[in-house]
Amino acid sequence: MADSENRIEVSHVTHEFHGAALRATGGKLVAVNDVSFSLTDSPPQIVNLVGQSGSGKSTLARIILGLQKPTRGSVTFNGKDVYRLGGRDKEEYLRSVQPVFQDPYGIFNPFYKVDRVLWKAIKKFHLAKGRSDGLEVIERSLRAVDLRPEDVLGRYPHQLSGGQRQRVMLARVHMLQPRFIIADEPVSMLDAAVRVLFLNILIDFRDKYGMTTLFITHDLSTSYYVGGDIMVMHKGGIVESGKVDDVLVNPEHPYTRMLLSSVPVPDPDARWKDRAQVVLAEEEEELVVDKPDIEAPNP
Amino acid sequence: MRRFARSLWKLWSSSHKFQIGIVIIAVFVVVAILHGPIVATIGHGQDPLGTAAYTPWQLPSRTNILGTDRYGRDILALTVTGLASSLQVGAVAGLISTVVGVLVAFIAGYKGGKLDSLLSGTADVFLVVPSLPILITLSAYVTNLSLAAIGVILAIFSWALAARTIRSQVLSLRTRPYVELAKVSRMSDLEIIVQELVPNLLPFIGVGFANAVLGSIFALVGLEVIGLGPSNVIDLGLMLNWAIGWGTLSLGMWPMFVAPIFVLGMLFFAVNLINIGLEETYNPRLRKVAGA
Amino acid sequence: MAVRQQALEDNKSAAGTPLLDVRDLRVYYNTVSGVSRAVDGVDLSVRRGEILGIAGESGSGKSTLTTALLRLTKPPGFIAGGSIIFHSRDGELVDLMKVSEAQMRSYRWRNLSYLPQGSMNSLNPVMRISDQFEDVIRAHSDRSTQEIRDIVPELLRQVGLEPHVAKMYPHELSGGMKQRVIIAMAVALNSDLVVADEPTTALDVHIQRVVIQTLGALRDNFGMTVILVTHDMAVHAELADRVAVMYAGSIVEVGDVRQIFKDPKHPYTKGLIGSIPRIGGERRRLSGIQGNTPSPTNWPSGCRFHPRCPYVMDVCPREVPRLLPIRDGQARQKPLVACHLYTEVQAESGGRDGGQ
Repeated sequence: MADSENRIEVSHVTHEFHGAALRATGGKLVAVNDVSFSLTDSPPQIVNLVGQSGSGKSTLARIILGLQKPTRGSVTFNGKDVYRLGGRDKEEYLRSVQPVFQDPYGIFNPFYKVDRVLWKAIKKFHLAKGRSDGLEVIERSLRAVDLRPEDVLGRYPHQLSGGQRQRVMLARVHMLQPRFIIADEPVSMLDAAVRVLFLNILIDFRDKYGMTTLFITHDLSTSYYVGGDIMVMHKGGIVESGKVDDVLVNPEHPYTRMLLSSVPVPDPDARWKDRAQVVLAEEEEELVVDKPDIEAPNP
Repeated sequence: MRRFARSLWKLWSSSHKFQIGIVIIAVFVVVAILHGPIVATIGHGQDPLGTAAYTPWQLPSRTNILGTDRYGRDILALTVTGLASSLQVGAVAGLISTVVGVLVAFIAGYKGGKLDSLLSGTADVFLVVPSLPILITLSAYVTNLSLAAIGVILAIFSWALAARTIRSQVLSLRTRPYVELAKVSRMSDLEIIVQELVPNLLPFIGVGFANAVLGSIFALVGLEVIGLGPSNVIDLGLMLNWAIGWGTLSLGMWPMFVAPIFVLGMLFFAVNLINIGLEETYNPRLRKVAGA
Repeated sequence: MAVRQQALEDNKSAAGTPLLDVRDLRVYYNTVSGVSRAVDGVDLSVRRGEILGIAGESGSGKSTLTTALLRLTKPPGFIAGGSIIFHSRDGELVDLMKVSEAQMRSYRWRNLSYLPQGSMNSLNPVMRISDQFEDVIRAHSDRSTQEIRDIVPELLRQVGLEPHVAKMYPHELSGGMKQRVIIAMAVALNSDLVVADEPTTALDVHIQRVVIQTLGALRDNFGMTVILVTHDMAVHAELADRVAVMYAGSIVEVGDVRQIFKDPKHPYTKGLIGSIPRIGGERRRLSGIQGNTPSPTNWPSGCRFHPRCPYVMDVCPREVPRLLPIRDGQARQKPLVACHLYTEVQAESGGRDGGQ
């Protein structure tokens, strides 16, 4: 499968939300504004998409996954428009591009055991013939993400921890072996100790199976940890992109700089020096970034 | 099927209110189904509903537990028969309006867009149309309706409410991550609706059904009380109509009033208990917090 | 402003004296699957004028602990035992577990303020900010309406907000601004202690920064004591003086923030510190902590961390380690650790299981 290059091309994608709730901004909200980039699986890579809430990064993820048709622009997979795929091409696309979502609680239908998500993938993508074959595939994939099948199978979602649930989603990805993983804030709801385990698996997937991940996050330190390329998104547009090692070490754009300077450093010897100034409010600095409109309404 | 049983059991054990409501309804349903044998038992071999089966206007006694009416019929037997017809009308109307409401809700809520506007618009029209005047007009023209036909007519006016409430739930579930995951897992729309959405909406569908049943029973009672119901069928509303018409209260013949009102009251009470129980179980804001 | 100045002087001079002593606090929940022992034997001392961080992952009981500190535990939760001794400014000792509900209400805000998780949502959406200040301050102090109106702009300024914010409604403010309005209310009442539960969670980073700095200023400029509860270790590194690390319902380590980050003692703290990615520098693989957080309905026996601990010994599943001071070369404050690895070096064996 990895012999030829696969490519997702996002070109001039714009997405607007309309609605009465957005009257304050003229009846529409431009969630994604003329975004273009491409993802390739040769060489496999991790591409970080970072931005704050309301920057449009989740909308972009849904657009790439074929879940939300953009207002303008196109997403193509190996040259074919994702929103005009016919039967076989659609299957091929879904086989090659799979998501990991943010909310480890919402990803499982509370009505069913967690096994079902894995069995569905097996049936719908014809990954195994028969029950025993399928079980073997499932167990192999669970072990690949450091889960013991007996801890997970036969359980209901609420019986698993957030970390376990997100790893079940990774096991699903492992089963499907897509070329691309679209991971929308996959670790934002996980505890630190579990978070790195998840990130390590993503890195391993790139190295072992050649999967390319679009890693969407608001947490710059996790971006630095996984490395690769980075795009910084602000108000629907990409304001800066490049290698993680360049952008996060020597940021060019003022927004990236502002973000970086706002991230608390996990080192008590590297505290901010300007604590008092904010309180005296002589500087307008934080009021500029603190305008209410930054927290755009969630469409 | 096991998980279905499991969620039913969870529901059952989650709320005493729900349990009480279900028990009351269950008793009524059993009585309604067995109304033939029960009436026969009351009559001890003769028909307690026959004209002049007993002495008219008896207060409760050993032979007539709830006394008799103007024509010497046993009031307990009347009530049991009336309950059966009322529940039958309610069940027919409730079933039809729930099925129609659910279909409309899922199509409108899941597909969205123009189809949604069209269907929700239609539902809104039916919601605001004043049903009682129309029913009154209808019943003035049409006579000798069967119970099923009455049920169908009542359903026309109650599906819209079910459709609206369920549609809003579908809208909120539609963008859940597990639905989106199902989409990228190549599940068809029908599979998603049946397998992902419906199971989670069962409680709402159940509430919708219970309310539609209750609404239809009360609508029929309303018609009967003002004398516009199909007079060939004995239901609880007709009993109330008689009770008013014969001036039973001034005669001191309270059972004629109290029996149907008590049964209707208990129905109302039970359905509301079920509603509250379901709400407490499925509405996380009201759910009793468990754990940290 | 003279009153304020005086209060500040008072607070500063009292810095370092004890404020709260928590002993063996237990907070349980009745659940369908049995009793959930969310907080199970917490010992903690809080000193005046410090910022004490409480760290721990979700399910460790830190939020339950903070609500219990102000006796705000709601059913099905209940306080199963322990004491919380409050040292008032005039030297009086009050066990908050024993006072009446009415007395407790008078302690809240006036002495102990609480910023709940997502506290920005606790403002009344249909009242102007200035009116909300009036409400809160009038209910908890004896200032006149005019007095309150006069100080509101000053209060807002102190948390870095423009005076015209007073005339605005909550929906006109960002999350960070609302958060700071709440902080300003605590300042207004000159509370001894502000307990902030996850104050930065769900805020964007640049707003997070402002909130962090505002909390820091509460202590630096007003000498207030802050208990900062968050799972985000970077926030502790930025703000806290001491950090208490919670695991499975009890505190496993308390120490100076530098010691916690540079030289963590407890294996869990080590794992936690070793799981934090940093920006810049060499990229090395972090190990995380294997295994899952245990369930509060069924804590593991002995040391609750033993099933996940890389240094597990025979004694660990059998005996519960006590929180004891350990000898630590240069440290001024001896770190308190609850771990069998250190039992032998715990010279002061008679040492109280407390915070000092």
